[in-house]
Amino acid sequence: MRKKISLDILSTVEKPARYTGMEFGSIIKTQEETEVAIALAFPDIYEVGMSYLGFKILYHILNLQAGVAAERTYAPWVDMEAKMREHALPLTSLETMKPLQEFDFVGFTLQYELSYSNILNMLDLGGITMLAAERGEEDPFIIAGGPCVFNPEPLADFIDFFIVGEGEEVMVEVMNLYKEWKKAGKPDGRSEFLRQVVKISGIYVPSFYEVEYLSAANKDVPMGCIKEVKPLNEIAPAIVQKRIVKDLNTIDFPTKPIVPYGEIVHDRIMLEIFRGCSRGCRFCHAGMVYRPVRERKPEVLKELARRSIDNTGYNEISLVSLSTADYSCLEPLIHDLIGEFKDDKVSVSLPSLRIDSFSVGLAKEVQAVRKSGLTFAPEAGSQRMRDVINKGVTEEDLMSAVGAAFANGWSHVKLYFMIGLPGETDEDILAIANLAKAVQGKYKEVTGKGGAKVTVSVSSFVPKPYTPFQWVGQNSLAEINRKQMLLKDALKIKNVTYQYHDSVTSVIEGVFARGDRRLGKALYLAWQRGAKFDGWSEHFSYENWLKAISDAGLDKDFYATRERAQGEVFPWEHIQPGISRAFLWNEYQKSKSGELTGDCRNGDCVGCGACPTLEAKIIDWKSNAL
Amino acid sequence: MKLRMQITKENGIRFVSHLEYMRTIERAMRRAKLPIAYSKGFNPHMKFSLASALGVGITSQAELLEIELVKDIELKAVLQNLAEALPLGIHVKAADVVDSKTPKLMASVAGADYYVQVPCTKDCLEQLHSFNTAASVLFQKPIPKGRGKTKEIEVKKFITQVTGNFINNNLELKFSCKITPTGSMKATELLKILRDQFAVPIVVEQADIERTDLYAVNAKGAKKALIGKSNFI
Repeated sequence: MRKKISLDILSTVEKPARYTGMEFGSIIKTQEETEVAIALAFPDIYEVGMSYLGFKILYHILNLQAGVAAERTYAPWVDMEAKMREHALPLTSLETMKPLQEFDFVGFTLQYELSYSNILNMLDLGGITMLAAERGEEDPFIIAGGPCVFNPEPLADFIDFFIVGEGEEVMVEVMNLYKEWKKAGKPDGRSEFLRQVVKISGIYVPSFYEVEYLSAANKDVPMGCIKEVKPLNEIAPAIVQKRIVKDLNTIDFPTKPIVPYGEIVHDRIMLEIFRGCSRGCRFCHAGMVYRPVRERKPEVLKELARRSIDNTGYNEISLVSLSTADYSCLEPLIHDLIGEFKDDKVSVSLPSLRIDSFSVGLAKEVQAVRKSGLTFAPEAGSQRMRDVINKGVTEEDLMSAVGAAFANGWSHVKLYFMIGLPGETDEDILAIANLAKAVQGKYKEVTGKGGAKVTVSVSSFVPKPYTPFQWVGQNSLAEINRKQMLLKDALKIKNVTYQYHDSVTSVIEGVFARGDRRLGKALYLAWQRGAKFDGWSEHFSYENWLKAISDAGLDKDFYATRERAQGEVFPWEHIQPGISRAFLWNEYQKSKSGELTGDCRNGDCVGCGACPTLEAKIIDWKSNAL
Repeated sequence: MKLRMQITKENGIRFVSHLEYMRTIERAMRRAKLPIAYSKGFNPHMKFSLASALGVGITSQAELLEIELVKDIELKAVLQNLAEALPLGIHVKAADVVDSKTPKLMASVAGADYYVQVPCTKDCLEQLHSFNTAASVLFQKPIPKGRGKTKEIEVKKFITQVTGNFINNNLELKFSCKITPTGSMKATELLKILRDQFAVPIVVEQADIERTDLYAVNAKGAKKALIGKSNFI
C-alpha cells in the first residue's frame, strides 16, 4: 500500500522539498517499462546525497538500460523520520514513491563508516528485514559499494552482496543477470541468485565465507585476531578483486544530471577528469584503492562540459578528481573551458589546490570572486612528519604557494593538517603553529603589512585498510585530546583561527574502518538504541557506541589503538583493490625512516601491483601525446 | 523587449521555496537558451522578476514572470524550448511580449485570488457571513525577521469577502486579496483569522491552498489582466 505523505506533515518538517522529488532530469519509468527496479540509497540527507558523483553516474548508466529503473532514496532528517514512524509511512524512492521493500535491489553507497547506522535505519524505515540471513523471497537484495567496500566486514550481516570497485560495468552485468533469472521464474529463490551473481567478477557475497578467529595467540598475533577466511562453497572466489573501467574515455558519463530545486552541497556540474592518484601519501585510502591513474581525454572533457552546461543550465563547472592539479593537460583545458563558456556566464572551479605557485596561478584564473580564502593541505607541520607520510611537499613549496597567493591579492589562507600520525612527537604538533606563523610572516614580506588571516583546520588521523598505515595503532582519545589542547595553546596567535574535530567520532570511525564482522552486533545494538546520523556531531552519542561495542563482547581498543604485527591476517584481505601487501609493508617501513617514494605517473614504477593485478595501465594524456 | 509569462507551481513542487523556485526558472531559461539580459558587474545576474512571492506550500495557476531580453524573439519557438526546459511541476499557461518601457509587473500587480480546500468538522457558512459583514477585523501580523514582534493590520483593507461551500466535511473557500506597495496578506493568515476569531473549526496545516489569479486593477477597481493570452499554448 502506498501512502502519500500528507500536506500537514510536509508543512511542519524542515526543507520539505527534500521529500517531494520531481526535479528536472529525474527519470521516472512506468511499471511496463520496468523489469528490474533498483533504489540507489544514500545514507545521509538529500543535500549530501545529491552531491555524490558516483550515484549521478550509476543513475545515468542504469537508466540507459532498457528495462532497468534506477531511482533515488535518502535518509530522512530526524524530524521527518519521527513523522514517518508516527504515521507508519515507509521510506520510499523519490521517483515513483515506491516503498524500498518493493524494489528488486536497494543499493547503498559506503562513503564513510559513520553512516552505517543510517543504513540500518533506512532498511528499517523501508520495511526490509534487517538481517541478510533472515530475508525472504519478498525482500529486495540489499547491496553496497563505494570506498568503504574495501573493508565491508562490519556490514556482513546486513548486506546480501557487495560490489567491489567501479560500478559502471559490473552493475549492468548484475541487472542483466537479474532480468534473466526473473524471466526464468526466479528458479530456486534468492539463494540461487546469489550463487549465480557471485560468478560475476567483483561481487562479494559475505555469507559465502566463514571467518575463523585465533583461539590463542599465534607468535606476536594476539588471540581474537583472524586465523583464516574461508569460502564455504566452491563457487565463491578466495579473493574478490576490484573491478575498474580500464579506459574512462570508452564509458558513458552523465551530461544530464538531475538539477535539484533546493541548494545542495555541491550545486554545480561535476566533471570527473580522472580517476586514481599515485602521489602515494601513506595515510590516504583513496590514493591506494583507486589506482591506477586514468585520465579522460581533454577533447572528451570539453564535449562533456558543453553538453552538461546546455542540459542543466548550471553556471558553474567543477573539475573533480582526487588531485585535480595533477591532470596532465589542466592548463590548456581550463583556458579552453573559460574561453568556450565566457558568453554563457559559466565559471570553472577547482575543488582542491596542490601546494605550488602553478596551482595558485590557476586559482587566480578561475576564481571570479576573490573574497574567499585559498585552501592548502600540508597535512603535517614538520618536514620530518611530511616525509613520514610521503606528502612530498616542503616548507619552501608552501611558502612559495602562499607567497603567490598573497601577491595576487588573497589575504586569507586555510591550512589542513592531521594530528595523531604515526611516530608523531609534540615537536611535530608545535611545528603546525610555527608554520601558521611563517605563513603570516610571508604575508608581511610580500605585502609589507600585517593582518593575514590563517585558519588552521586539524583532523585526527584514522588508520585505514589498504594503506601503509593499516598496521598502525590509532592514538587514544586521551592522547588526541592532549594534542589538540597543546596545539590550541600554541595557536593563540592574532588572526589565526583554530578548528578541530570532535575526537570521539574518530574513535568509532577507527573501530569500524579496521573492524571485522563481529562488529555487526555492535552496530545493530547501537542502531536499536538510537544511533543515526553519527557523522553529525549533534546526533553522535559516544556513550551509546561504547556500550554497544562492549555489550557485543568487543573491545574498541582491539580495533582502534592496537599496533598490528606484520603477520596478522586482516579481516579485509579477501577483498582486493590490487595493491600488494608487500608494497604496503615496505611503504610502512620506509615511513619510519622518512624515506620518500616517488609518483609512478611521471617516473619509475613503484611496484604497488595495481597495473599488473588489474591488467590495466596508467592513462596520462601528456605522456601519450609525446 | 520584455517577455511576460504566466506559469504554474503544481502540487508536487508546492514545498519548493520562493528562492528555489526563482533559481529553478533561471536555470530553465538558461537551458532554453533565451537571450536574457544580465546585470553588469562582478557577479552578473539575470534580469527577471516574479510579480509576487508565493508562500511555501501553496500551489499556483498564475505566477507572473517578467524577463528582459537583449534581442527580439519569436515567441512560439521560445515557448517550445522553454516547455522542454522546465521541470515537472512548472508549466507555461500564457506568454506575451511587451516593450521595455512597460511598468514592472511587481509595480502593477494589485490583487490575487485564492481557492482553498480544508477539512472542516461542520458547516460554518454563518461564521463566514459574520466575517463578510464585519466592518473591521484586526490581525497581529508578524513582522518579517521581527523576532516575534507583530504589527496590527486591518484585514478588511485586503480581504473584504470570503465565499464558502461545505461538502463532505470539506470547506471550500474563495477570496481575493489586495496587494499594495506597502504590503499584503498571506492566505494562511486569513485561515488563522477564521479559525481564531470566527470559530471556523479548520486545521490550517491541512489546508490545500491554490493561487488562481494575479492581476492589476483599473481605475474603477475592476480586474485587469497583466498578460495577453497567446493562442498557441
